[in-house]
Parts: sequence; C-alpha cells; structure tokens
Amino acid sequence: MAGTLQRLPTVTPGRRLAWRAGAVVTALAITTLFLALSGRDPRLLADLVVRSTVGSRFGLEDLALFLTPLLLTGAAVTVTGRIGVWNIGAEGQFYAGAIGATAVGLYLPGPAWLVLPLMAANGIACGMGWILVPALARAYAGVNEIITTLLLNFVAGLLTTYLAVGPWHDRVTGALASTGRLPVRIPEIWGVVHWGFPIALAVVLGLAWLTTRTRWGYQITISGANEQAARYAGMKVRARILGVMLLSGGLAALAGVFEVAGTVHRLQGGLANNFGYFGIVVAVLARGSCLNVLPAALLMAFILNAGIVLQTEQLTASAVLAITGLVLFMIAIADELAHYRPVTIRAEARP
Amino acid sequence: MIDLLTGTLSTAVLAGGVLALAALGEVLAERVGVTNLGVEGLMSLGAVIAIITVVATPDPWLGLLAATLAGAVGGMVFAFATVIVRANQVLCGLAVTFLGLGLSASVGHDYAGVPSPATFGRVPIPGLSALPVIGPAFFGQNLPVYLIYLVLPGLAHWVMFHTRHGLAMRAVGENPAAADAAGLPVTALRFWYVTLGAGLAGAAGGYLTLTYVPVWSEGLIAGRGWIALALVIFAGYRPFGATLSGLLFGLITALSFVGQARNWPIAPAFLNMLPYLGTIAFIIVPVVVWHRMRRIMAAPAALGVPYHRDVR
Repeated sequence: MAGTLQRLPTVTPGRRLAWRAGAVVTALAITTLFLALSGRDPRLLADLVVRSTVGSRFGLEDLALFLTPLLLTGAAVTVTGRIGVWNIGAEGQFYAGAIGATAVGLYLPGPAWLVLPLMAANGIACGMGWILVPALARAYAGVNEIITTLLLNFVAGLLTTYLAVGPWHDRVTGALASTGRLPVRIPEIWGVVHWGFPIALAVVLGLAWLTTRTRWGYQITISGANEQAARYAGMKVRARILGVMLLSGGLAALAGVFEVAGTVHRLQGGLANNFGYFGIVVAVLARGSCLNVLPAALLMAFILNAGIVLQTEQLTASAVLAITGLVLFMIAIADELAHYRPVTIRAEARP
Repeated sequence: MIDLLTGTLSTAVLAGGVLALAALGEVLAERVGVTNLGVEGLMSLGAVIAIITVVATPDPWLGLLAATLAGAVGGMVFAFATVIVRANQVLCGLAVTFLGLGLSASVGHDYAGVPSPATFGRVPIPGLSALPVIGPAFFGQNLPVYLIYLVLPGLAHWVMFHTRHGLAMRAVGENPAAADAAGLPVTALRFWYVTLGAGLAGAAGGYLTLTYVPVWSEGLIAGRGWIALALVIFAGYRPFGATLSGLLFGLITALSFVGQARNWPIAPAFLNMLPYLGTIAFIIVPVVVWHRMRRIMAAPAALGVPYHRDVR
C-alpha cells in the first residue's frame, strides 16, 4: 500500500468552496496572529469590527457604499475574464468615468433628472475611451492587455489630480485639493446609501443574464474557452474581445460615476481608493460567474469596511492592502490544492 | 546646453538602472516560464528594507544586500505557490504586489520622510569620466551602475546563450515536458530562477532608495515594477535588451525632469505621464508596424503555464 496524490481535472463547486473557506480562515488567522504579536487584543478588535460593519445601521450603510463600486468593478473584471482577457485597468477606467461625470456635472447647468443621466452617459463613454487603445491592441495585434490596461491607471490618477488641483480646482473654498461640490447628486434611498446601489445590483443581475442566456454571451464563453474552435464556428472572436473590453471599461466607469455623483460629490485625487484593484479580487473570487460577483463583492466590502475600523486603532490603510493580498494568495493556493485527492495504490497495480 | 545634456543623461542612467535591474530579474523568471507580476510589490519591499538597513548600519552595500534578500524571500514565497503548488501565476503575482505594497507601507510607516543616511557615492573612472557629455553620465557614476549595465546582463547573456545550463534553462521555459523527459529538473530550475529574479527586483527597489530617490514614502515605486514588466516584452526576453530598454525609459523619465526644471509650457502632470504612455506605445507600435517582430520577440512558449508531469 502506498499513498499518493491524484490530480482531478475538474473540481466540484462544494469542494472548491470548502477549500476557499479554509483559505480565507487561514489568511484571517495569520492576520490575527500578527495583530496579537504587535500587542493588540484580537478579540476586542473582532468585536469592534462586527459592531461597526454588520452589527449597526451605520455599519450596514457603509457596507452598501463600499459594495456599490465593488459590484461594478468586480463585474468589469469578471466579464473580460470570460473571454480570457485580464482588465487590470478598472482603476483607470473608474477615474475616467468620474472625470467624464464631473465635466458634465460642473459645466452643464440643468435639472438633476436631465444632468444625472448625461453625467452617467459621458462617464461611461470616457471609460470606454480609456480602454479603447488596449482593447484594439489586444484584439487585433495580440498585445498583452495586462500591462497596457494597468499602466493607464497611473495616467488616469495623474490626470485626475491635475484636474482637481488645476483647471477644475474649487475656487470658492480654495483650500481642498479637489473640484467644487457638484451641483447635482444621486438621491439617497436609505441613510447615505444612494440609488447607485440598487442600480449596480440590477446591472450585475443583467450581466448574469447577458453572459449565460444570450447568443452573445455564449459566443464570449466559447471564444474564451477555445479561440480556434470559435473561429472555425464562424464567430467573430476579435470583435467579441473588443466588445467585452469596451463593456468592461464602461462598467468600471459607471462605478466612478456613482462614486463621484453619489458618495463623494466632488472630484479629487485618490478618489478611486483602489476599488479598481479590489475589483480584480472580487472577480477572482467570483470565478467568471456574474452571479457570484454578489457574494464576492460582499466579502470584499466587509474586509474594506473592517479595514476602516482598524485604522482608528492605529493600523495603517496599507495594512488592509496587505491583508487583501494575503487572502488572494491563500485562495490562489487553495484553488489548486482543491484539485488533489489522496489515493492509495495497491501493490499489484504498480508496474 | 552641454550641461543640460550631461545632466539629462546622468539622470537617465540612474533612473534607467532601476528599471533595467528589475527587468533583468523578470527576464530570468519569464525565460523559465513563470510570469511574476509581483515585481512592483517586491521592489517596494526592497526599497523600504534598504532604508531600514542603512538607518541601522550606514553601509549602502549592506542595504542593497538586504533589499536583494528581501526580494528573494518574497520570490521564494511566490515560487512556492506558483512552481511547487502550481497555483495560478496571475493571481499569485497580483497577491504578491498587494502584499508587498501593503507590508512595505506598514513596515516603513516610521521611516517615511527619513532621508537615507547612506547612499552610493560617485566613483569616477580616471580618464573616461573626463570625456564630454558621456563621460560623467556613464563613467562618473556609482559602482552599482556598472553592475547593472555591464556585469549582470553580461553574465546573464553568457549563461543563457553560451552554456549548457542556459540551454536547459531556456528549454524549461519553452517546453517543460520535453525538458523533463531529457532529465532536466524542471521544478528546481523554475524555483531558483524565479527566486533569483525576485531578488533582482528587490535589489532594484533598494537601488532606487540608495541612489536616485534617497527617501522612503508610500507609493514610491509608482508603477516602476509594471514598467519593468512591459520592458521585458519590449526587450524580447533578452538580458541586454532589458538593459537598453531600461536606459531608454530612463531617458524618458529624465526628459520629464528637464521639462519641469526648465519650465516648459506643459503641466508637470503631463510630463509625469510620459514614461507610462511611452511604455504603452513601445509595446504596441513594434508589433503593429512590423509583423515579423512577433516571431523574433516571441515569449517563451510555456510562459505562464504551470507544468504538471502527469497531465499531457
């Protein structure tokens, strides 16, 4: 009798979920260990985290505000993943959307019912424009989209800061490094939670239908699974890649529109708050399914919200980034380990 | 005018050295078939460890060594996940970037704004450094410059293309199944070259804080790791290609400094965008303009694909 490991080609959802739960628990255990070593009481912190996230009304409102952009950036990275493309530039498209919305909001006077949709439309168009060059290069020249989309994030960040402290700078108060307060805002529905939240939910559900129940979604899935086969079947793979990437840019941009018009109300440097990067984590957790974006974004929003609470306890904002990295790392390992199954080989079965 | 040219070129050599070193490390990792997207995080870790080391013992060489080791340890963690466990390389790379950026900012919190007490001084080479323009830029620099531009890429090039070991290394990146069948240790080669590459990324971060930007602050790396990743593609996965493209991008960075110093009628924000936009242009334009480039500059065939012996 000898024990060995066998690699399974596919993994059942339950098995994967169990491994992933183990990964998240491990990551959180390591974090707790670090906190305990640095002289903090983990139980007190845990209590504080629960009270200020799911344990109170204000906590829940904050959770929904975090959830809104994460749903959209998570969906943005998920849809490109379905065709085998990584959009690491959601952060930049988020900024582009915020810039597009702010331009309309600041310089187009009018009633809110007219200006808000125009802000959204212009923001989405800007986000699509922001991803256009990487999308064309990927679809028609095979240029690595990970690097092109990512580098544009830095350009978008610089452009946002430039606009906020330069030409669009608030001349009324003058002190803040931001634009003036937008004259229109997305109306609230529950406390500080605005209409962006239900719209983001609806968009994700709509995408789930689009990607799994339509001809277009089917072609995306096939093109992502086997480009050659898709091409032989007469599908326009390149046009699909371009279309999906533009859609992705528009989704990330919508997150930026909601953030600037619903939550922050002015354009400022650092507005995107890493939401674009955390969208990648959401997409990884969701594993290509738009429906899974809902629970994945919820987990991510919880981690971010908990991180804000921990910051009041002298933990830096960057600690949250490190914790997120650890969770992602553990999940990547667990996803692979879930493929293995111990088997025993009998003596006579051996050659 | 001559002064300006000399100054620009000197800055270019320094700024480019950071990119060249990180890109060389990534060339090593990608040649054995592993994409390490964690360069940005590893550089950040190296940068902060270098500062912490020289604050304790003011010797820049020790700082550089500590930065290299920090990068290598991070690389071992990454290599354990991607080469031994064979987890998804894109995910693990992003995770290492997040971890590296987050950890370095947490660890470096008390060191933010502290100027580096020890930096690499200039060591002019007698004779050569007296040459106009290129003298001060290339022969009046600190010692690691020669390591980065000449010794390391030379060594890497010789090992890669002129030794049996280099052939083995490249085989592992092109066709691990065939390499395995020929008796080559695929896992070991991948593990150690990824670790070595990550060590160079850490060293690049340390080099940044020990010469060119001698102070730690959060977000110091500012995408240099990602630019280095792009340079590897632009360099066609060749050591001297990485060095030369590093220098080229050093020039672009230096240009934006010159623009700011001389009050060009362009906002500094736009000049700061140049390296990023330049990188994007440089990886898109060649393949669009000249189709044969795709074959000459092709990536190792097994890049990014984990190797399972039992799965064909």
